Amino acid sequence: MENLGALAILLAFCLAVFAVIGSVVGGWKRNEFLVISAQRAVYSIWLLVTVASGVLVSSLLASDFRFAYVAAHSNRAMPTLYKFAAWWGGQEGSLLLWSWLLASYAAVVVFTNRRKHRGIMPYVTATLMVTQCFFLILNAFVASPFQMLAVGRGITSVADGQGLNPLLQYPAMAIHPPMLYLGYVGFAVPFAFAIGSLITRQPGDAWIHTTRRWTLVTWLFQSSGIILGAGWAYAVLGWGGYWNWDAVENASFLPWVTATAFLHSVMMQEKKGMMKVWNMVLISGTFFLCIFGTFLTRSGVVSSVHAFAQSSIGQWFVGFLALTIAGTVYLILSRLDYLKTEARLESVVSRESSFMFNNLILLAAAFAILWGTLFPVISEAVTGEKITVGPPFFNRINIPIGLFLLFLTGVGPLFAWRRTSLESLRRNFQWPLLGGLVLVMGLFVAGMRHPYALMSFGLCLFVAWTISVEFYKGARAIHAKSGQNLLLAAVELTRRNTRRYGGYIVHLAIVLMFVGFTGSAFNKDTTIEVKVGDRFTLGHYEMKVVDLREGDNDNYSQSSALIEVWKDGQPLGTMAPERRFYKASRQGTSEVAIRRRLNEDLYLNFAGKSDDEQRAVIQAFVFPLVSWIWLGFWLLALGTLICLVPSKVRFEFARLPAVRVTQKYAATVKK
Amino acid sequence: MRRRLRSSLLILAVAALMLGQGGNPLENARVRLLGDQLACLCGCGSSITSCNMLHCHISEPARQKLLSMVNAGRSDSEIFAAFVKEYGQRVLLKPPSEGFNLLGWLMPFIAIGAGLALVWWLIRRFRRPLAATAGPEPDPALMAQIEKDLDKLD
Repeated sequence: MENLGALAILLAFCLAVFAVIGSVVGGWKRNEFLVISAQRAVYSIWLLVTVASGVLVSSLLASDFRFAYVAAHSNRAMPTLYKFAAWWGGQEGSLLLWSWLLASYAAVVVFTNRRKHRGIMPYVTATLMVTQCFFLILNAFVASPFQMLAVGRGITSVADGQGLNPLLQYPAMAIHPPMLYLGYVGFAVPFAFAIGSLITRQPGDAWIHTTRRWTLVTWLFQSSGIILGAGWAYAVLGWGGYWNWDAVENASFLPWVTATAFLHSVMMQEKKGMMKVWNMVLISGTFFLCIFGTFLTRSGVVSSVHAFAQSSIGQWFVGFLALTIAGTVYLILSRLDYLKTEARLESVVSRESSFMFNNLILLAAAFAILWGTLFPVISEAVTGEKITVGPPFFNRINIPIGLFLLFLTGVGPLFAWRRTSLESLRRNFQWPLLGGLVLVMGLFVAGMRHPYALMSFGLCLFVAWTISVEFYKGARAIHAKSGQNLLLAAVELTRRNTRRYGGYIVHLAIVLMFVGFTGSAFNKDTTIEVKVGDRFTLGHYEMKVVDLREGDNDNYSQSSALIEVWKDGQPLGTMAPERRFYKASRQGTSEVAIRRRLNEDLYLNFAGKSDDEQRAVIQAFVFPLVSWIWLGFWLLALGTLICLVPSKVRFEFARLPAVRVTQKYAATVKK
Repeated sequence: MRRRLRSSLLILAVAALMLGQGGNPLENARVRLLGDQLACLCGCGSSITSCNMLHCHISEPARQKLLSMVNAGRSDSEIFAAFVKEYGQRVLLKPPSEGFNLLGWLMPFIAIGAGLALVWWLIRRFRRPLAATAGPEPDPALMAQIEKDLDKLD
């Protein structure tokens, strides 16, 4: 079995090398036979990596502890779901998952484009396969999941494995890594098309049209991965934090930020033929940040709760990154002529310049996060002393940047393309702006003094208002024509231009998330040692400990508390926070009890026993508005899916002829 | 002599009271505030206030130490200095804005400044009209339509 897995990886590596050479030579010499042969190799690679993954997964399910990986990341008593999830529970397995996802994406790309884009496809295949080669090298030679323990030769038998990290034995956590990897790996596809388009000197932006859906789907995966991680941290770590600016969290956030910038700036290229170089830089940067994020998780360069065991694997990543970055920079520089802008900016007050600001601010946020993540390494190299860059640093720098972005979310879409008159600005903004100001004053009078919270709530209302007005205006126009009621008219409006209104829905989702983030300024908590019959209070809540219990099963032992809860004298029922101790890994985890409501969550954590073992230590938290974050995510997913649906009305931008006419027009006016 | 005895008894009593108060340092607001600026170095990745490992060998003594320093009326900078002396610079979650670390704080703003300058330069460059390129003579009907649409814009 183990030999089958290792052999499959080796064969896949050989085929990947062939696929690179075959497609490059085939594309260059216009040898269709070689190109097609290379594409068949892509399918075979998928099959081989699937076989290797199958071997690993089946040995995990069968608890075959001769495999070093299985012994280190699973144990017999683990539920089947988590035995399967152990595939990505450790370094070697998760790298194999990377390879498998990439092989799957590559196979889908090759299949769906088998009759399209014949010119650039060989180079797209080659780019994907270079990446595939790199990961297969890691799978085969650096971090092989098929290393065997010397059972029968020295070791007689391995009775049980060490078990999966218990923090990972949680449903959201089981799907968080694959979601994130689907995002990380997915950005390889638009990157590959960009490189293909550069190599073949494509004049237009076919690569953008082709990969728009890929990019959106990948972006949605990345968003889901990040939010699942946040939701998991909130429900599992026991202190209700969902984002800690940990190095690896930052690493997953960085490509998301640059991809968001990309999704916006491609519109400049599609509609105006501007910012072509920039889009190349953005999509390449996003891909490199994906590789970089994988590198940070695995190399132990920065300390992080997510990091896998320290290893020398980092050098391989550094080498791969250096080579690919150098190659991409060379390609972009040598093809600047093909990336010339086709249009001019007519006014500073226009949609065009608002896109530039949006990109600037997103990139500034990405840079600040990257800088803060790497600064401990830089500083230690320069001064020789270890320092920490933690949440206070990131919050101080990123909260103002985030608020400015929120402001742009409201303002940007209302600027017209080309130029916007002051009169239309006044018309669009006066009421939402006034509404936001009134809200801020109202909250201030009501006693809220937190400056950022006040700004954030004001901006949230402002942005939500401008978006609602956009929907209302469009829906009213349809209502006037067709007589549909306003709600149906809004649906019709969205169906006519899914990209635009889907985008607005995503913006609205971001607003909901900001409301949730802002709620954290008003968190409350208390820690208390209690015995049965004790009462304690937190804010409006009163709690009474009814019972303390102990339990035990094969996988873990547990202690739990049964707590009766009242709010302002009204009974709310009982909650049962629990503490588990996993036997195989000898680690403890919290199973918190959360009462989720839109206005606030009540969150109880069984932190442990007092020194004399007689009393329970209970941590109680109130988290205002935190549910809005998760609600925002669902809306974000809906908005993104709407963007993927083709619009009912086809918008023809007929950009090139129109641009030439305007140029001619500009010239005649000048004379 | 008696007075000395009485004052030492008083000091003992105060000390005992402070020790007995040990209950939960997190109930003290200033301890929480200061603890949120200090890293718990047990590997949990959180701050001294938010570390929730039970009987953590770093955060629990650190909280007691914070509480006693807060009760002794020490200033923030004195408290941070004491922690840096014990654990090194890396105990500060926010690097001090001095020396090389000042660069850590300034760099994001330098980047935003440079970005703004770049955008300003680009906007200026993009606003210069392109040289007219030779193309087919535009259709007069289309030109009229453009003229009309442009007027409608404002």
